[in-house]
Amino acid sequence: MKAFFTLVFMVLSSSSFATEQAEQLFNQLKPSLYQIKLIDKASGEKSSIGSGFQISSDGIIATNYHVISSYVLHPKKYRIEYLDSDGNTGLLALQSVDVINDLALVKRKVDSVNNDDINFFQLSRNAPHKGEELFSLGNPHDLGMIVVPGTYNGLKKESFNERIHFTGSINSGMSGGPVVNKQAEVVGINVATSGNSIGFLVPHDKLDNLYQAFLLAPPESIERQMATQLTANQNKLMSTILNSPWLTKPLGKHGMIPIIDVPFIRCWGDSNAEKADALILTAVANCSLDENTYLSSRFFTGSMEIEFRYMQAKNIGANKFYHLYQQQITRAGAGNRAGKDNVTQYQCHHDLVMPDNQMINNKSIFCTRAYKKFPDLFDVLYLSASIDKNKQALVSHFTIAGIDKKNALAFTRKFMEAVSWN
Amino acid sequence: MELIKEEFVATEKATKELVIEEITRNHKLLHRYKLDKPSIHIGRDYHNDIILADPHVCPSHISIDFIDEQWQITDNQTVNGTFIENQSERKFKANQHIISDGDVISLGKSQLRLLFSNHAVEPTVAFSPFESFINFMRHPVALIISIVFFTMLAGSIIYFNKPIEVNFSQLLVPAIGMTLGFALWPAGVALISHLTKHDTRLMAQLAVSFALFNLMWFSEILENIATFNSSSNNILPLFVTFTSVILAFSLFWLNSYIGFHMGSKRRIVVSASLTLLLFGGSYLIQYSKKPEFNPRPNYNATIMMPSFLLTTSSNVDKFIDDSSKLFDKTSKKAQEE
Repeated sequence: MKAFFTLVFMVLSSSSFATEQAEQLFNQLKPSLYQIKLIDKASGEKSSIGSGFQISSDGIIATNYHVISSYVLHPKKYRIEYLDSDGNTGLLALQSVDVINDLALVKRKVDSVNNDDINFFQLSRNAPHKGEELFSLGNPHDLGMIVVPGTYNGLKKESFNERIHFTGSINSGMSGGPVVNKQAEVVGINVATSGNSIGFLVPHDKLDNLYQAFLLAPPESIERQMATQLTANQNKLMSTILNSPWLTKPLGKHGMIPIIDVPFIRCWGDSNAEKADALILTAVANCSLDENTYLSSRFFTGSMEIEFRYMQAKNIGANKFYHLYQQQITRAGAGNRAGKDNVTQYQCHHDLVMPDNQMINNKSIFCTRAYKKFPDLFDVLYLSASIDKNKQALVSHFTIAGIDKKNALAFTRKFMEAVSWN
Repeated sequence: MELIKEEFVATEKATKELVIEEITRNHKLLHRYKLDKPSIHIGRDYHNDIILADPHVCPSHISIDFIDEQWQITDNQTVNGTFIENQSERKFKANQHIISDGDVISLGKSQLRLLFSNHAVEPTVAFSPFESFINFMRHPVALIISIVFFTMLAGSIIYFNKPIEVNFSQLLVPAIGMTLGFALWPAGVALISHLTKHDTRLMAQLAVSFALFNLMWFSEILENIATFNSSSNNILPLFVTFTSVILAFSLFWLNSYIGFHMGSKRRIVVSASLTLLLFGGSYLIQYSKKPEFNPRPNYNATIMMPSFLLTTSSNVDKFIDDSSKLFDKTSKKAQEE
């Protein structure tokens, strides 16, 4: 009993200490925190909100790309405004973006006279250590600036582009807000949440890189800057994937499929083995890249899905098996969301294909659609269905969003040669 | 056989025998009389040689007399008159008219065509080669086989596409339903030909329609095999699609051949229009349902069991090479839009 009291007391005292510390930090940092609002010019009302923080004396404010993405796509429809802790508002000008890391730099007009007393955030020099207490700042749901204490839990392993795993409740509207350590140095930027106090932050060094590059040479056109970033990122991703080991694993009784051995592609499996009345035994392996680059609310890219399906007829003839099998492969769709303004319609090619090892004979379908704003980038879809066994089938399928021609073809070739019967 | 051609030959010498045809307004034959009398009486009462039931015809309407090697019409001062209504000339009063071969006279609302017995008739129409096909197919045994075949095909297609286990009666009921549904077409055609005073010939219509329906199933299977065995560069499947157009045209042609008397040109036009309506209409429906932007790819996923595999496969190099062309195509599209 005594021990229990002690424990509760300790918890209470530590949390009250944390609150005190948070309050002190908050008061110190408040003047450099802003709410970022996107105002629809026609209606004069805000269409989206987020948070931002000043990182230089000349008025550069960092926020998330997704907070201001509508402005990037439709600069004539919106204007960007800030609201500071004293209730002042003003216009912001977009300076630079990093779509891969979901960062943007905007600039506020600063009176050059009293430059000295302007506060701004300092970026940390070091990464935090695991378990370190951090404080996330932002304006959730337009409720006013708040501070949320939480813990640094290292980098998210499954992410190709680094993200900090932060245990603390980040809510929408806090996007673009800074996360600071006890020394009030920025260690990350709020970007996403998966609910239940699991939050994700962009590491501060990404912001530092973006800012340094901006100081060196501001981008000429945001659209071209985005295109360069997307192309570079898919190059980096695909060369990692193509140069990583592809493990061959069995699927079902006779299928052999490749599993790309990288931490950021995760696989799941399922089958209908428990269903006694199913006419076809099906086993599915599903791998995907946990990455989704936000370009606008209707346009995502950078995702990758791979699916394998092994099917075996139970008590039905080959003809019926193939009829049902065909139904399984008629409705493959894109892996990412994109609309008429962003991409063309798919164009497809199909043929019967047997790899040189002659281990399998497939009907293969390849489809692609081009990006309208980013030349040389495409979404691709591949679907292949084995046609050489009477009562067994192996379907191999992938979609990759935002990839160039060379990488798409290289990946397709390697993928096609890696699927076979044993 | 209908006499459609009226050749107006003035020099034709009148014969002693006169052929009088009672015809409809569309010049369809109702009755034909051949009379060998020097004086012919036509009217509504019963002493006439030709008795017309038309209430607009007078009891003793006209008489036609053979005088000086010529037939002459006399109108008996009738209420509604008598007129010559030849297609090539304007309508005029028939009283005292000297008859030429092929003259059409109207009395009341009735029409009569007057022909000399030496009137030249159309050459004999030979049986179409389809006639023997129709006769073969309409034999009860052939008809039953063809309908049973159709029902079996319908049943097996339902069976192949059901993802769950099904028993025989679960297949039989929809298969018979489908057969009855398809039988509506020949039945409908037969009904229309019955209503338009043509031969009904229901059996022949059923026989021909089901024979062609079966051929259409078959051509669909062929089309599937062709699509399955060819890459998207190949145009063979397009040719096979064309056979289904030809089959539809043949169906409509035979339906109208059996059901209606019409000229061969007209029959071709009618069947071609029906074919166009069918294929053009279904294309239009598809087109109107097509969304402005389709986020899904539209590809051909036809696969069949290995025994239908007739060609050798390409290798990966060829596939990659063909696929690489799509990038340039879509890039071009992206720049255009």
